[in-house]
Amino acid sequence: MPAVKAFVDGREISVEKGTNLIEAAKLAGVFVPHFCYHPGLPVVGVCRICLCELEGRPKLVAGCATGVEEGMKIVTRSKKVADARKAVMEFLLIHHPLDCPMCDKGGECTLQDYTMLLGPSRSRFRFEKLTWPEEDVGGKLVLNKNRCILCMRCVNLCKDVAGLDEIAVLNRGEQTFIGTVDGRMIENELAGNIADICPVGALTSKDFRFKARPWELTNVSSVCPHCSKGCNITVGYHPRRNEILRHTARENMDVNQWWICDRGRGGFHHVHDPRRLTAPLRRGEGGLGPTTWNEALPAIARTLRDVITRHGARAVGVLSSGTLTNEEHYLTRAIFTDGLGVTHVDVPPRPQPEVVYRKFTIEGDRDPNARGARLCGIAPTASGLGVRDMVRAAAEGSIKALIFLRGGPLDLFGEPAIVERALGNVELLLVVDLLPSAVSERAHWVLPGVSFAEKDGTFTNSQGRVQRIRKVLTLNGDTREDWRILQGLGRALGVTTTPDPDPERIFSRLAQAVPAFSGLSYATLGELGAPIAAATADVAVG
Amino acid sequence: MATATATFEPVLTKTIHLPSSHTLAVYKKHGGYQALATALKKTPDEIIDLVKRSGLRGRGGAGFPTGTKWGFVPKSTDRPKYMCVNADESEPGAFKDRLLCQKDPHQLLEGTLIGSYAIGASRAYIYIRGEFAHEARILEAAIEEARKAGYIGSNILGSKWSCEVTMYLGAGAYICGEETGLIESLEGKRGWPRLKPPFPAVVGLFGCPTVVNNVETLACVPHIVNRGWEWFAGIGPERNTGPKLYGLSGHVKNPGVYELPMGVSLRELIYEYGGGVPGDRAVKGVIPGGASCPVIRGDEIDIQMDFDTLTRAGSLFGTGTPIVMDDTTCMVRAAWITARFFAHESCGQCTPCREGCGWLQRLLWKIEEGRGEEKDLDTILSVTDQIEGNTICALGDAAAWPARGFARKYRDEFLQHIREKRCPLDGGSLH
Repeated sequence: MPAVKAFVDGREISVEKGTNLIEAAKLAGVFVPHFCYHPGLPVVGVCRICLCELEGRPKLVAGCATGVEEGMKIVTRSKKVADARKAVMEFLLIHHPLDCPMCDKGGECTLQDYTMLLGPSRSRFRFEKLTWPEEDVGGKLVLNKNRCILCMRCVNLCKDVAGLDEIAVLNRGEQTFIGTVDGRMIENELAGNIADICPVGALTSKDFRFKARPWELTNVSSVCPHCSKGCNITVGYHPRRNEILRHTARENMDVNQWWICDRGRGGFHHVHDPRRLTAPLRRGEGGLGPTTWNEALPAIARTLRDVITRHGARAVGVLSSGTLTNEEHYLTRAIFTDGLGVTHVDVPPRPQPEVVYRKFTIEGDRDPNARGARLCGIAPTASGLGVRDMVRAAAEGSIKALIFLRGGPLDLFGEPAIVERALGNVELLLVVDLLPSAVSERAHWVLPGVSFAEKDGTFTNSQGRVQRIRKVLTLNGDTREDWRILQGLGRALGVTTTPDPDPERIFSRLAQAVPAFSGLSYATLGELGAPIAAATADVAVG
Repeated sequence: MATATATFEPVLTKTIHLPSSHTLAVYKKHGGYQALATALKKTPDEIIDLVKRSGLRGRGGAGFPTGTKWGFVPKSTDRPKYMCVNADESEPGAFKDRLLCQKDPHQLLEGTLIGSYAIGASRAYIYIRGEFAHEARILEAAIEEARKAGYIGSNILGSKWSCEVTMYLGAGAYICGEETGLIESLEGKRGWPRLKPPFPAVVGLFGCPTVVNNVETLACVPHIVNRGWEWFAGIGPERNTGPKLYGLSGHVKNPGVYELPMGVSLRELIYEYGGGVPGDRAVKGVIPGGASCPVIRGDEIDIQMDFDTLTRAGSLFGTGTPIVMDDTTCMVRAAWITARFFAHESCGQCTPCREGCGWLQRLLWKIEEGRGEEKDLDTILSVTDQIEGNTICALGDAAAWPARGFARKYRDEFLQHIREKRCPLDGGSLH
């Protein structure tokens, strides 16, 4: 579409022909209120709050449904427009319960905001209001129809993005309501987005509701750690409680548009799991017992050095994880491969069934950064063994030390019986993890790492986009960021001489060392990330 | 006027009094389907031009020039085009299309076929109101007869043009008579009117160019083809041409459908044809063209019944179906009944209509019940202002106009209700 010249309240803009008036007005710095319009959903034009005046046209037009034409003069500040907006606000509120003090949306409610902005402050409606009982509409949402303004966003999200008619408009006139069909539940895994885009408190998240007021939360930009898609999220945490209370979708047109799936939305609960490992553990007479970092790191290093001295670096296997950051993969490589000459370095794949919705796919790799691991060279070299072979070699006795940078169920690493034999055989079994697992239970040493929300770093998604995660929470107990653990090990092993003070500086080394990352820095990644250099082979460190 | 109408010979309803007027045999005996044969020998453009010149304006209420509407359908397109017949006659007071479907379905089919030919459609849908089950059966039978006789189907009357006609029974919603609501309903969706533009002529049924025409509009078409545009244009006042079915109801001695020229005087219609008011009481008010048209007072009935005149007078011609109310009628109650209808039929899609109609209904009932306050009258007027022009379709306007009309024309009666805290007519003759 060619660019046309138009005017918004007298201000000239140049805009692609056909752009709707809401978006066009934005370019002129003019805000046009809207409830039903959402850039990611079909235009329905039902709420009527975006009515604008066009010079020379007698009737107001819906800003969302009207495209800009050459020379169009859009007026948003006339009395006519103000009256129409006020009228719509009054209409929307006549049956509204005005229960902001007890509504979970309060503080981030479009209806509340516009009421403050546009009024009216009093209603002329003096009749009994229509009321509806609260309704459970599925695993993640609660429907309060009293607050619903019938903007259709929920219906259109399910229809257009998920491609499912799980929620619909029923009945007509003032008895019109949003509901599920025949009392069935909303089951699609994108339904949580409804709570994000509902402009009122009609559909709220069961997981988040009544946990906190939105203004009590601090919002931090991050990336979802639950699949290789790398959806951009906003982590909402309660600083005083040091607790994450929700994930919401963060717009990134190159990755997830405006949406995230419900796995990612609820994907912070493991961070607050009461079983979290909070101190280094060492195996003693009575099993695993607490120890200190100062004791653990030198002791682990000594044992590892000893194994290498006696059996060579080929007796060591390092099993990393696609949940670790690029920075941590870089350190892993620098310490074990480059520093100690370990050749058996790999990441166990964690596939899952891909879930394809009409306009959103949950990817088939549960790891957020398997791509980054490969790019950093966390893959067996020509003479090295992969995960399953490493485990088999350990079971057969040729590998004497196994380092798991994340644990997991036995079958993640091979045939459970073989894995069990391997874990029992080795002289050194070190596990770094957040939670106890079948692997960590058998370890000689367990070091408490941290989650995606407790450290800075970057993930590389399946498309090769490098994006930042951010430290949100203060560390719990005696846990340490994984990059710090790796640096500590490197120091104890005598291979890291000058540890970097933060992941940003580790990343700049990484960008120097790994061609795929060349030219990138935390500054260039910004909020939305940046793609790796095109046409770089995944195992790229020379 | 009386002399002009006295010499008028019915055209659309000429055969309805005959036994079996709905059959093909009777229709053909009176010249049926000759217009189709004539039309098929002309080009579609010639037909559109003919209808344009006749001055035929849509009989469904809006009065849009039919030929112009047909002319909007793009000529150079690979997409199929559709003709939709709006037989969803649902407005209180309107019952003229029903008569045409019931008594002369072939006239409608012939008009439908000629219209389809003119716009290049090879499929027509007749969307008939759900409650018209009897008429639907008649129409179905007529379609079958016409198909067997070769008027519907392939290579109609030896021409290269083929056309199928399908009847679709609505499910009982006034809003499905709104042309885009009708299209949505026909597509199997909720009958929610669409945002315009695009207009149906460009993006209509199944996303294809579509014309939606009223039953009476299409019934006029065969006669225009048979008798020429000059004949049609010669009936009635300028810009408001042709014969018209007036559905007269309410407080008249002889309610019914009367075929007269456009522009007949309302007084003449009520007194000459309707036989006046029972008990020879005074006319208190008339809703001239179906419930959405603002009421006019009993002293305003010396008015020409046509689109332009009634619009100038602040009301609307609508479907040309006056509802007469005598002096036993409580106008607050009449307003409330009208508002209740629109509140019930509002589709619920857009805010002003969904919320405003219910509010109007409550305000009017409050006054009728004797609980009204003077400010309620202001609120009624203000709510109608807040609805009008701000909605997706015209139902919002259709609900706002009559409420405003009643409140303005009978302000004294509203105030009397408020002052006396009761209905001075005890509800009057309406229930």
